[in-house]
Amino acid sequence: MATTITHPKTSWDTLHNNGPFPLKTLYVTELAGDGNIPVKIDRYNDATKEMQRLLKETANSGEGFRAYGSRWSMNNIAHHKDRMHFNGFMNIHLPIAATDCHANTSFDASNLFLFECGNTIKEISKQLSSHGKSLKTTGASNGQTIAGCISTGVHGAALDVGSVQDYVVGLNIITGPNSEDNVYLERHTEPALNNAFAAKLNARVIRNDKLFNAALVSLGSYGFIHGVVIEAEPRFLLKRYVKKIDKNVALKLAKTMDFKNSTFKIPEETDAQGNGNRPYHYKIFVNQYNDDSEYVVELMYKKPYVVPYEDPFPIIKESLYRDLIYVFVKIAEKFPKRIPWLVRRLRKTILPTVNEELIGTVPEIFWDAPYQGPAFACAFGIDHTNAPKAMKVLGDLTVNEGPIPGIFAMRFVKQSKATLAFTKFPITCMIEIDGVLWKKTKRIMSITEFSRRMIEVLKQHNIPFTIHWGKTSDWAFPNLVNDMYDDASIKEWKNFRNGLLSPAMSKIFSNDFLETVGLNTKDLDNSDDWIVSL
Amino acid sequence: MLHSCFKFNRVILLLCIVFLLQSCYSIRLMNTEGERQPDPVSERDDDYRNVSVVEMDTTLTIKATTSIPTFLIKKIPKCKSGQLHTVEYRNTFGGVLLSAVTLGRKRRMKIKYVCVKPSN
Repeated sequence: MATTITHPKTSWDTLHNNGPFPLKTLYVTELAGDGNIPVKIDRYNDATKEMQRLLKETANSGEGFRAYGSRWSMNNIAHHKDRMHFNGFMNIHLPIAATDCHANTSFDASNLFLFECGNTIKEISKQLSSHGKSLKTTGASNGQTIAGCISTGVHGAALDVGSVQDYVVGLNIITGPNSEDNVYLERHTEPALNNAFAAKLNARVIRNDKLFNAALVSLGSYGFIHGVVIEAEPRFLLKRYVKKIDKNVALKLAKTMDFKNSTFKIPEETDAQGNGNRPYHYKIFVNQYNDDSEYVVELMYKKPYVVPYEDPFPIIKESLYRDLIYVFVKIAEKFPKRIPWLVRRLRKTILPTVNEELIGTVPEIFWDAPYQGPAFACAFGIDHTNAPKAMKVLGDLTVNEGPIPGIFAMRFVKQSKATLAFTKFPITCMIEIDGVLWKKTKRIMSITEFSRRMIEVLKQHNIPFTIHWGKTSDWAFPNLVNDMYDDASIKEWKNFRNGLLSPAMSKIFSNDFLETVGLNTKDLDNSDDWIVSL
Repeated sequence: MLHSCFKFNRVILLLCIVFLLQSCYSIRLMNTEGERQPDPVSERDDDYRNVSVVEMDTTLTIKATTSIPTFLIKKIPKCKSGQLHTVEYRNTFGGVLLSAVTLGRKRRMKIKYVCVKPSN
């Protein structure tokens, strides 16, 4: 039997110390050993029962419940003040056999895998590698759990791929304590697994595109995401370049995504006519305190997996000595006017080395994050055609009303089908400022005030935007969600949530974050009618 | 006057010796594969935050018949997979001195290790 240890607690914090937040109880569940339950799917189903027991216990106590994995979100989205559940030890993986696939599926069974919620990106990559497969993209890091990634819309910079949730093709969600509260969701237009496989999970199948799209980026509030079916692809290599290019050229690329006709070319990455190839990944680093005429950009090109290739780790392992940066930030709190000077001094550790080249697989290139201390990250999703304008507005704000101890970057991500994905534009430019957390002083505003000002200036300049659900912001900003998404999407997301969950479970799976952004409420529609398999 | 100056110098010398004995270097071996075993109740805020780390800080007495002292990594209590992910070895000048003075019979050992998260 899966076992859960209950720890009385008084507080909980994110990995990057964006809390602490109050907590009463922490659950830690470990699966039954394979000596006791040898068949994986039986261990998985045993864990389902254990989760339903915990949900019943929570419901009986009249308290709330929230699962978390790696604590990577930089706000309270993964937090509940009552009971929290650590699911990091729940990491079963199951390759899908052709006999498990739906008769009308267009997926290649060899690319499909079921991963339990607590598998991290690193673990998933390792398992996929052993099958000669790879994730299509990651969040440019490897520590988050799969359930955490999709719940908050984690993305990388794969401009023609999308975010992590965009290669998810099935979801197993526990919606309550009863046996019927175990559902398997898919798109009806893109079925992956057959009913017999769902029956093995003792799950009720619901195939419905709109429900599935709503549940993909669920902010952790559609129930307990127990398993995620993903579509992987054959393993490939990424060739990474770091270049310094003219600011105007870099921003024109951001706006047009026209790499073919750009004046910027990497000689090794051109077609037979000498036109530039389209990269897999494009990222621009922007030091807003620097008037250089050039930006540092990072580009990656997809290559076939061929061995041997040069070991990328000698470059990758050169992690930053961020403790030094932490010391500098402490200085910056006292002397904020020195921040631009400090950023210039630290450019060699903050920015990648220009003209550096390496090749490796996705898990090698996006290896362990070097720094896990106190940090903030604000990330706005902007239509890429507005990216240069938005970057100027946000950069100016940071210089004129800051300075703030961090620098900007721009990444580009394909549109997601998820209802409340922040990558909602045809190509979303994620403009993000990352840095080490500081404390408000008379001379430097707080991170919340800075976040609020960023929202205000984007609104002042009529630039439509979204905000990364897992990052730092002034989430209590009035009508924030209504500014980011249209009414129909918000209504649809709420209705599917309220249809899928009973009123009691809807309350249990809510939290302060959901209430702050106003997504916990129920509209007058009869949401129950929304939950139909098509 | 001369006496107090002498006393001051002795204090400085003592501080220098203490500092020298504590001066150290660390070496870390890390597996590129596998996730570190998490510890959700850990309160650490160093490089090992969120992970289950075992720390060993002891002085070994080596028998004449022992060539290399060997520690066994067991699944219980803190290495569920039985596989090592990270080993950090720390040596101090004091430790080197102790080993030299005792002709290798006593060895100061400061080790941290983290195991691979068990897979299912």
